[in-house]
Amino acid sequence: MDGVIEVERLVHVYPEGTRALDGVDLRVAAGEAVAVVGQNGSGKSTLVRHLNGLLRPTDGVVRIDGRDTAGTKVACLAALVGLAFQDPDKQIFAGRVRAEVAFGPRNLGLRGPAVDEAVTGALRLVGLADVADVNPYDLGQSRRKLLAIASILAMRTPIVVLDEPTTGQDLRGVARVQEIVRSLVADGRTVLAISHDMRFVAETFPRVVVMRAGRVVLDAPPAEVFGAPSWPTLASTYLEPPLAARVGAHLGLGATPTEAALVDAVAARLRS
Amino acid sequence: MLELRGVTYRYAGYARPVLHDVDLALRDGEIVGLVGANEAGKSTVCLVASGLAPASIGGQLGGDVVIDGERTTSLPVHELAQRVVIGFQNPSTQRSGVAATVFEEVALGPMNLGLPVAETLARTRRALATLRIEDLADRDPARLSGGQGQLVAIAGLLAMGPRHIVLDEPTAQLDPEGSNLVAAALRDLARTGAALLIVEHKADLLDGICDRVAVVDAGRIVLDGPTTAVLGDERLAGWGVEPPSRVRLARSLAARGLPGLAELGWTA
Amino acid sequence: MSSLVAFVAGGYLVPLALVAIALVSAATGGVARRLASVSLLLTLPIAVSVVLVSALTRAGTEVLVVLGPFDVTREGVDFAGQMLVRLFAISTAIGLFSLTTDPRAFVFDLERRGLSPRFAFVAAATVEAVPAMVTRAGVIAAAQRSRGLDTEGSLRARLRGVLPLVGPVILSSLTEVEERSLALEVRAFGRPGVRHLLWWPPDTAVERVARWLIVAALLVLVAVRLAGAWPPIP
Repeated sequence: MDGVIEVERLVHVYPEGTRALDGVDLRVAAGEAVAVVGQNGSGKSTLVRHLNGLLRPTDGVVRIDGRDTAGTKVACLAALVGLAFQDPDKQIFAGRVRAEVAFGPRNLGLRGPAVDEAVTGALRLVGLADVADVNPYDLGQSRRKLLAIASILAMRTPIVVLDEPTTGQDLRGVARVQEIVRSLVADGRTVLAISHDMRFVAETFPRVVVMRAGRVVLDAPPAEVFGAPSWPTLASTYLEPPLAARVGAHLGLGATPTEAALVDAVAARLRS
Repeated sequence: MLELRGVTYRYAGYARPVLHDVDLALRDGEIVGLVGANEAGKSTVCLVASGLAPASIGGQLGGDVVIDGERTTSLPVHELAQRVVIGFQNPSTQRSGVAATVFEEVALGPMNLGLPVAETLARTRRALATLRIEDLADRDPARLSGGQGQLVAIAGLLAMGPRHIVLDEPTAQLDPEGSNLVAAALRDLARTGAALLIVEHKADLLDGICDRVAVVDAGRIVLDGPTTAVLGDERLAGWGVEPPSRVRLARSLAARGLPGLAELGWTA
Repeated sequence: MSSLVAFVAGGYLVPLALVAIALVSAATGGVARRLASVSLLLTLPIAVSVVLVSALTRAGTEVLVVLGPFDVTREGVDFAGQMLVRLFAISTAIGLFSLTTDPRAFVFDLERRGLSPRFAFVAAATVEAVPAMVTRAGVIAAAQRSRGLDTEGSLRARLRGVLPLVGPVILSSLTEVEERSLALEVRAFGRPGVRHLLWWPPDTAVERVARWLIVAALLVLVAVRLAGAWPPIP
């Protein structure tokens, strides 16, 4: 087993009393790519912080590759689950891009050429290979964010979790993140991403989990999640389906969560 | 009216300028969107337009920034703040931290201006009403959602009584609900006659609220015109700017020789 | 005030008593745990260097251990110990103040006493910064632990983790302070002249008496120190 996530009846209550997770069930197979969407405060970040043990269940179980996270240290789980945080400035400390990325692999016990190889590979994947020797603070916010993602990728964990990877990214940045997800999946790794960008979600992930008030309210492929029957549920969590899905439903073309799907459906309709 | 005329700007301690010969005008009651790739100079345009650069952060300004006929460099910062204000993306760093309620937070600006208490109260009430957040007045500003926090921050700016408002990625840290709240509030704001300049990555959001859009590329304004024309421009992607969904869809359909959205019977 | 007392009064007893007072007051206010973490966060980087420098390099008559080229003397260890307790007395005092003081009341009160709003704000920002730093440190620790940083392991492992934790705390604090000061500038915070405040902080008789008692205690201590009645500060 490599990269399997099992979450059962997970409940998390913060010390001040907020019930952030209220019985979440989620199974992700090895090599799957899943998007987690929902309003701020719906429990997305709380959920992913359970995967590497940063938070412990108030009730319920989280297992990674069959292993209960309850008795496992974060430092050990970090070798299985790489979690990239939303704000890069809450983790960057090194004076060189290369050193920043090497931090994770070194913590996992890699040394020498193995570290260099992991660092170079990760920097190439996020498109920062040419600034390896630059000070991270000479890069703009969006590139610092890609750097933070690279520092997780370099750890080569079987599971990669990205918290809002496209926020603040421009057209090329979003395309880059899309490419990263695809290449991780091609590599057989499990990817989980939190996002507010529904078009990015529909085009990049074959499975979408919608959360509301600490529960999973939808868990299906984009065609179903963004299809007309799901709209009331989506609306209850203030999410709007991508334009392609709305146009497809309006024209009676069925589920067309992506532009490509809509174009195909229109072409098919006109042919018949 | 706020105008940038031939503006060049270099940050303190840097050898090269970030902006080159920028011309940009912001007319009363108009919402202007500013788009461009990351690190193209959008935030710098905001800092210069609001007068914070060079007045507060130093650096070297060439050309003129003119507000209602007066050059910004001739005005002290607190004086400038009554004509043009700037808002940032993070609601929490824009909070003063010294107010116990939203009402006090919004009142802080007018209070700083030394206005009589009655005037401060009136301006605060008006700002809350314009953004339709009167119901938040008694809440603790530190315990709001991102969208609500951003509205309170904008209300705080509005209470200064400026005619020009610059917002640098006001919805970047918000979820879709928060973004919609802010977008609706900006439309209300423009109706009061204020001029707005908004930096934003969400092309669909700009498409819905802007009168005009300008594109920044490598520190220069490369395109400036009506929203539909600019956001539909073929060169947009080349400048690293995401076209709105309707434009992308229309292009994908056209590329396959299919009829456009309107012909298919779709109206937004 | 307690920080000043800690410096005026040398030795171990008074500073330790101050730490105890701060912790007990924090416990009654329900912030003891947060105070402990704040004060460790504030003190640790300085404490480590003070202990190393003074224990290893301070000359003395009685050598306790020889570590390579360094003689660890009784005087050095004693000095390091005294510095350490004082540092903790100061950091717990500052921490307690910032965790329990309403920044709004603090600013307006300073302003009423004739300080410029700008200065009052700097003071308030310092007060505000501590709880914000605790929250930020929490997020940073979570991010670094996700990258395999071991904060639960041996002392050596934890020491290695100081830079990745302290670095981003300082850097992100700086960015935030910059953003915050720009945002305030836009709202005319730097304008000189009078402000008409909407609100005054309450000031009870008990609070006034307590304040004067504390000032009196400090004056007495200074007098005792000047009279040379206490052992000299090493």
